[in-house]
Amino acid sequence: MRKQLRKVLCTFLPGGNEMNGKKTISWYLFNGVKFREFPILLYILIMVLFFSFTTPGFWAVRNFENLSRQIAVVGIVSTGMTLVVLTGGIDLSVGSILAFSISIGGRGIPLGRPMWIIYPVILLLGTLLGFINGVLITRIAVPALIITLGTMNIFRGITMVITRGIYITPIPPEYTLIGRGYLPFFFLLIVILLFMFVTLRTRLGRNIYAIGGGEQASLYSGVPVVKYKVVVYTLSGFLSAFSGLILVGRSGFIQPQAGVGYEMNAIAAVVIGGTSIFGGSGSVLGTFFGATLMGLILTGLTMQAVDPYWQGLVTGILVVLAISLDSLRQIRGRGQLISKR
Amino acid sequence: MITFDHISKNFPGVRALDNVSFSVERGEVHGLVGENGAGKSTLIKILSGIITDYEGRIFIDGQAVSFRSPHHAQSLGIATIFQELTMISELPVFENVFLGREPVLWGGIVDRNSMREKSQKVLRYLDSNVDPDTLVGRLSIANQQIVEICKALVLNAKVIVMDEPTSSLTEHEIERLFSLIQRLKDAEITVIYVSHKLEEIFRICDTITVLRDGKCIGSVKRETSHPGEIIRMMVGRSMNERFPPRERKQGEKLLEVRGLSRKGELEDVSFSLYRGEIVGFAGLIGAGRTELARALCGATCPHTGEIQVGQKIFCGFSHPREALQAGISYLPEDRKGEGLVSCLTVRENLVLAILREISSHLWLNNRAESKIVDRFVKNLQIKIYHPDQVVETLSGGNQQKVVISKLLATQSEIFIFDEPTRGVDVGAKYEIYKIMNDLTQEGKGLIFISSELPEILGISDRIYCMKGGRLVKEFYCEEATPESIMYVLTGGK
Repeated sequence: MRKQLRKVLCTFLPGGNEMNGKKTISWYLFNGVKFREFPILLYILIMVLFFSFTTPGFWAVRNFENLSRQIAVVGIVSTGMTLVVLTGGIDLSVGSILAFSISIGGRGIPLGRPMWIIYPVILLLGTLLGFINGVLITRIAVPALIITLGTMNIFRGITMVITRGIYITPIPPEYTLIGRGYLPFFFLLIVILLFMFVTLRTRLGRNIYAIGGGEQASLYSGVPVVKYKVVVYTLSGFLSAFSGLILVGRSGFIQPQAGVGYEMNAIAAVVIGGTSIFGGSGSVLGTFFGATLMGLILTGLTMQAVDPYWQGLVTGILVVLAISLDSLRQIRGRGQLISKR
Repeated sequence: MITFDHISKNFPGVRALDNVSFSVERGEVHGLVGENGAGKSTLIKILSGIITDYEGRIFIDGQAVSFRSPHHAQSLGIATIFQELTMISELPVFENVFLGREPVLWGGIVDRNSMREKSQKVLRYLDSNVDPDTLVGRLSIANQQIVEICKALVLNAKVIVMDEPTSSLTEHEIERLFSLIQRLKDAEITVIYVSHKLEEIFRICDTITVLRDGKCIGSVKRETSHPGEIIRMMVGRSMNERFPPRERKQGEKLLEVRGLSRKGELEDVSFSLYRGEIVGFAGLIGAGRTELARALCGATCPHTGEIQVGQKIFCGFSHPREALQAGISYLPEDRKGEGLVSCLTVRENLVLAILREISSHLWLNNRAESKIVDRFVKNLQIKIYHPDQVVETLSGGNQQKVVISKLLATQSEIFIFDEPTRGVDVGAKYEIYKIMNDLTQEGKGLIFISSELPEILGISDRIYCMKGGRLVKEFYCEEATPESIMYVLTGGK
């Protein structure tokens, strides 16, 4: 049992690849304090404490259910964004991919097509759009920022033209199953764990970090840079569509304007989670914490009956704070010897 | 006019300047020569205010000065024209001339008319027909240089520093530049002319100062010297003890390159490499050595020609991966940008080229990874205290060993080492030479590119001289001397 637990910890903690068995559980707990996601975990604790004292009803079960569902949608999109940002790129089209997939894929619902066709079609559409992003970015020598800014508008435009802005509602109850209770959060956890494993323990993950840390050096080392970049944008597209499914389940209708502004929330979660916007360092776990912190603060503010117009402002401040922290870490980090990934 | 008094500057691992002292007289053209890496550029950077933390003092007209920034150096009358011209190509000539010091009218409005007029006046004085309204990006390099000189004159510069000004000029343009320099001299403006082309130095300079390994070897008057003396001053140093003993043996042919050409970079390059051999490529900066290496390692694709590795014939590689599979691995000149992923760890960098080999399906095999890392850390004596140490925090020599380990792990047969000892201290240099020797003992072939002549001479079995993208001469180690190679490289026939 202990051995199993150790193996699991080995997978997710830095330096955990030394499997010489001398490390005890407490070693991992102690070492956990040193890893780079720790500060943000601390902020989360502070916020939880703050809200539990100032906001009555914060500990209500319903509240946590709400919070978890809110985190889930942005969290899954942010996971894809993390991969993209780690390679040194950015994907502004995630919100549009989400809307495109559910709006176009969901057109089968009023026609009475079964769910086992609709869901795969939606996921496939997202994957395809992500793939298109990847191909364009690697073929055209223009920064990903510009390309995805373009595809963001193109995908959204196609969605609007085809749907003429009309909602699909009502949708059959089986589609809302995925958005009920803690199920969204459960899916988020699976996605997070899966991609933590991918980034830390697979060839794909290693190459993602390498490309983001130094594209030229990776190329010269024989890394198929183009291939992996396409893979990363494709994954981002897939995850956007997947979070679209959850969004449909949560809201109970399909809206062509869905996902507007998600790219900014996702980038915010990634950056707040400590991933360097220049690529090469950061983690999926950090993004999960980043999304949690954002969700926590926004929910807390809503519960304190703070004007909703404050939300954008607060997110903005968080992002600026996180980026300043990151550059501070880079300045101070010159003396840092062991990688804290 | 300008006196350098015991100027020293350390970079991590290298002493770029070591107690350099000399004086430049008013109104003379002062030549500054030295091999690549002798410290010329560092000295210029100090003089132009780019490097501000150095030891020693600089006097201008007897007064001690310390430059705080490029802007400050300019206001003290020192204008520098860098090899890569520093102008904004999207702006017209006259705005570039006044960049950072625009004359303003009342209320902060830029006085464009007076800017245009003054530029026009100075350009006419320089005998140039450049229109002040053209965008700088549209001008030829020669004309851009004239604009830079114009800028210096408008700033009332007393000293103009020119760094390799003729490197991208045609014969005719060089003549014009020289007559311009003569004109500046007549106007009592001091010119510091940095070059390693001796013919030019001897045509234009009054005094010549030679730098070598960061030390000032001496200043001589042109009339009392001759190119042979300067060459000796540039290269002369003892070569014993600096290189490990080497046993020469030549095996079967490993690599043959036939008629490799790439427009603007390489012209009809043919050579061969045998097992157990180190082939040195000598050349000045821009001679096409790195371009050749890049074509061989798959970073660029040659337009014509073929590369034969063993029995297989390739007409170039389209991706570095293909070259690696063919057995050619490349140690890039730019260690930070192309050799290493600086923010990753030693372990991650070391196995970057063999991820496929150490993974089963998609998963990385950590045990195999650690084993390989431990083996190389031990064999090459890389000084780290943990494989998860970020590679950026290592010294230059250890960083280079990580890159070399990465190449060795690929089990290639042919290694291209491009400036492997750059930014590496003397002790680590010796170790790198030893690694190279060991490789050839195992029957691998090594292509060795270096700008340091003694290094090339000390370790290569054969030496190819490159100039302008072509191989101009082949030397066997025994017949090569620093003087003879320098003679070929600096323009002799």
